[in-house]
Amino acid sequence: MFEKISRAEENISYQALLESKSGLFYAEEEEVDSHDPQNDLTTFGKTCEEIRTAMTEIRKLKEKKGKDNSEEIEEKKINATLQFVVLKKLNRLAHVRCKKVRDATSEAKQRIDQYHLQLQNLLYETMHLEKEITRCLEFKSKDEEIELVSTTEFYKEAPKDISRPEVTQSDSHQRTLARLDWELEQRKGLDQKLKEAKDNKEKLEQEIKTKQEYLENLQPKLNTILQSTKPVQEYLGMPFDQIREQHQTACHLPHPLYVLYMQSSAYKQACDKHLEVRIDGDLQAAKSIKSSVTEIDEDSDSDQEDQEKPSSKRRRKTSDSRVSDRKNRALQRHPLSVVMEIKCRDGGCLHLTFHYQMSLEIITVNTKFQSGPDNVTASISGGDLLSAESVLNDIYPGDHGNTTPNPANQYELRRLGLRDFTYYIPELGRPYLWAQWLGGLQFLDHDSPLKAQSSISSAHMQQTVRLLRRRIRSRTSLLQQLASLERGSVQVIREYLPLFPAKMVAHLVSWKRSTYEDFSVLPHSRPAITAGLAGESDLYFTAIVERCSAKMTVQVVLTANYPEVVPWFVVSVHWQTNRTALNDSHIQAMEEEVNLHYHELMKEKSHDQILSNQMQRLMMCFDIYLETEAQNMESEGPMEISKEKVFTRVTRGPNRTKPYMFSPEVGIFTHR
Amino acid sequence: MAAVATGILGSTCYFRFNIGNLNLNGKKKKSTDLILQDRSLAARKQYHTSVFAQCFSPCGKFLAAANNHGSIAIFSLTTALSPDSTEALWKPVYSFKASEEGAIFCLASSDIFLISGGNGPICAWKWSDILNKSPKVIWSWAIPKKGPFYQTEVNTIVIDKQETQCRLYAGCGDNNVYVWDLETGEQLVTLSGHDNYIHSVSLKNKGQMCATASEDGTVKLWDMRHPSAAEHTLEPYKNQLCARPEFGRWLGCVAMETGDDWLVCGGGPKMSLWHLRSLEATTVFDTPAVCQKTVMFYEDTIISAGGEPYVNHWYVNGDQKSRIPCTPTNVFSVVVNTALNSHKVLCTAGNRPKIDVCTNFGYKAFSLTFS
Repeated sequence: MFEKISRAEENISYQALLESKSGLFYAEEEEVDSHDPQNDLTTFGKTCEEIRTAMTEIRKLKEKKGKDNSEEIEEKKINATLQFVVLKKLNRLAHVRCKKVRDATSEAKQRIDQYHLQLQNLLYETMHLEKEITRCLEFKSKDEEIELVSTTEFYKEAPKDISRPEVTQSDSHQRTLARLDWELEQRKGLDQKLKEAKDNKEKLEQEIKTKQEYLENLQPKLNTILQSTKPVQEYLGMPFDQIREQHQTACHLPHPLYVLYMQSSAYKQACDKHLEVRIDGDLQAAKSIKSSVTEIDEDSDSDQEDQEKPSSKRRRKTSDSRVSDRKNRALQRHPLSVVMEIKCRDGGCLHLTFHYQMSLEIITVNTKFQSGPDNVTASISGGDLLSAESVLNDIYPGDHGNTTPNPANQYELRRLGLRDFTYYIPELGRPYLWAQWLGGLQFLDHDSPLKAQSSISSAHMQQTVRLLRRRIRSRTSLLQQLASLERGSVQVIREYLPLFPAKMVAHLVSWKRSTYEDFSVLPHSRPAITAGLAGESDLYFTAIVERCSAKMTVQVVLTANYPEVVPWFVVSVHWQTNRTALNDSHIQAMEEEVNLHYHELMKEKSHDQILSNQMQRLMMCFDIYLETEAQNMESEGPMEISKEKVFTRVTRGPNRTKPYMFSPEVGIFTHR
Repeated sequence: MAAVATGILGSTCYFRFNIGNLNLNGKKKKSTDLILQDRSLAARKQYHTSVFAQCFSPCGKFLAAANNHGSIAIFSLTTALSPDSTEALWKPVYSFKASEEGAIFCLASSDIFLISGGNGPICAWKWSDILNKSPKVIWSWAIPKKGPFYQTEVNTIVIDKQETQCRLYAGCGDNNVYVWDLETGEQLVTLSGHDNYIHSVSLKNKGQMCATASEDGTVKLWDMRHPSAAEHTLEPYKNQLCARPEFGRWLGCVAMETGDDWLVCGGGPKMSLWHLRSLEATTVFDTPAVCQKTVMFYEDTIISAGGEPYVNHWYVNGDQKSRIPCTPTNVFSVVVNTALNSHKVLCTAGNRPKIDVCTNFGYKAFSLTFS
């Protein structure tokens, strides 16, 4: 049986067996390649057909019972079985083939994967490159931030080798580069300069330092020199040290007073030897004040306190003490003061003490006048003319020193529940405007004080001292004139004597002080008040002049700044009837003679005598008036008033004016 | 700075001399202190300004006035009379210094000239020059000097304009009236005979008759055809109707009526109406204790003024028609503008810088200010 099988096998794969002599295991794999699967399929079909036919033959044989055909069946069985071997072989081959195909598939798949990966990599690379490109495009150069000189300027200024116009004109990149080059060039140059300047500065600083050191070393030397010269100074009576001490004390003055002191002593040295300036007061207190800051704390219950009626004595006492305490603080003045002494030619001396009110921030002045030894100052009607309250009134127009020049003070005083500033003047002194100016303070309307400026002070110094001195001179002279008028004599100094005739008949009977009220009730003085030529703040005097039964009453209006404003006269005459400027034009003309033509009574230099001269002139006119009136009248009998004066014409012109003008050369009276 | 100073101090300024008054009146007297007190020479000069003469321009639209300081001011009546006129317009449109020697006492106007007299010579200005604000003296006549100390003034000038001639009469301080021919500039006649200076001159009968009032108390009537001596002399101070010895004998004003034979004169004696043919005083216009300094016939009335702040209007029979108050207390000049009917006003000037203007002669309309 084995033979048969092998034979069969041999039949089927004889060739294959031959070829697979070299390796037994690979035989079939190689066999697969050589077989065509289509052939194998047909072989498979054929084999199956043979098996089927063998089966059917076996069955047929079996059905044919009788006959012994077992052999035949056997044979057939063997053949069929052999066919299974073929099938097996085919099965194996199919398996091998299947495996081969699977391997090939996986191989192909792997290759595809590889390609895909490669593709991915390339895509990524492109993306990266694109990004790089955009970044490059977005690149900003630093030079864009630099401000370059304009192109035209660049071509104008830069040297040819930097600007290279032939290239840069067309190529903007090159141009920018060139401009940058030029910028760099310039900056280098400037840097160089800066360095030089710094060096120079250092050098100078060094120099200053050495000089400063030198100066500092000098100070002790000077001190020793000063010390050693002291006996010499004392011997020679030169008060350099005193001055120095005063100057040192001046450092402790409040700023406005310091300005005042400085400017006035400078003024003294430069222009006015008859001015004395010194510092008075407690230096120690000033030093301590400088270190401690003074404050006025809030008094919130001040209003309440003022309204409350003190219920008990004790309460009142505390309230009073609190008020005084507050007052003291508000009205505190600096312990140092500046004393100015203005000496006049006649020996009189004006003492001005300047105080600084620390919380009110103003300067107040205390005045004292010391008259010269040979001056008559006793006068009843003008006794107050040199008093401290009034002597410096209206130094500048309208400056009475009654109200504080600092508008803020009013509110402050009210806030502290204190009275109006005017109330405290007797103890504080007067805050004249010029005093503030001398201290460099200038208050504007509703404005806080500015810092004290010496320019303000120096601008007012000369004029103020001149005005003060002139005021003293004119007041002294006025006082003398008033004293003389009270005695009934009109004092005409020699210089002016030729202005008047030698003989005057009318005489002064009385000279008295009057008031604005008395003046203003007179009907004939109203026009002067309406015209603003006489006011409430003026000084009024009444003089009575008589000749026989005729009486002339003269109202004299003096201003505080006499003789800058010449006295104004209002005249009334009582002689049989009452005559005033309102009903008699000759009286008006008489007033005109003194009120308007006063220039004839003044010689260039001094106007101080104007009051006496006017009075004398008026009395002269009164004589003329009476004498001409007497001539005019057609009265019978002896004339009361005889003609004493010489005049060619009694009346003249439509107004029948009288010859009030005196010609001193010939001694006769003429018309104006 | 001074302005600021007065601003700060002005509100509470008072004087410390009168301490007693101060406490009584410290508060209520703020207002008077706020008046700006200008006591300069200019303010004093303004206060002592008297206007002696007035004269209307030939067109009747302007008023010229002259004062004691030798200035002439021109006022525009057209502006001052306009309905919306205010105080600011009652001031001179132009003023100039016309005399270096002091007061100007009289003004007269011819067709082209404004003529002024007073201290110094008689001067003539062209109206056209004045209105162009560039006046210059066209001609001037000096009055012969009487002596070294005798200042001859011109108290009145009157222009006599006739068809054949135009003459200028000037009543002067040397007791003479000089007559010039205005066209030739020749001095024709001198009327002399008064014992004192001439106050006023009046003409009538086409310039054939002239009346002069003098400080010597007489009115002399001259026949200009025989001017060597006065024809008649009136002596009011001797007439018991009008004599007032306490005021003297002087006569300040004279006027003659053109038609009838009436003459009015006044001064120291009471103002009186005289009949020229009988040379008798017929009517007395009594102003107690006041001397009249200016008089004129106007229509059927007589207007006069003098040493009181009133202008008197009289009927010829001696009754007083009205008494109009005015600003000056001593009136020197009253004039009526007859040249232009629309500007027919009566102007009163005297010892104040204000010139009163009456539009209906019944009351003061407003005052021009000489400044």
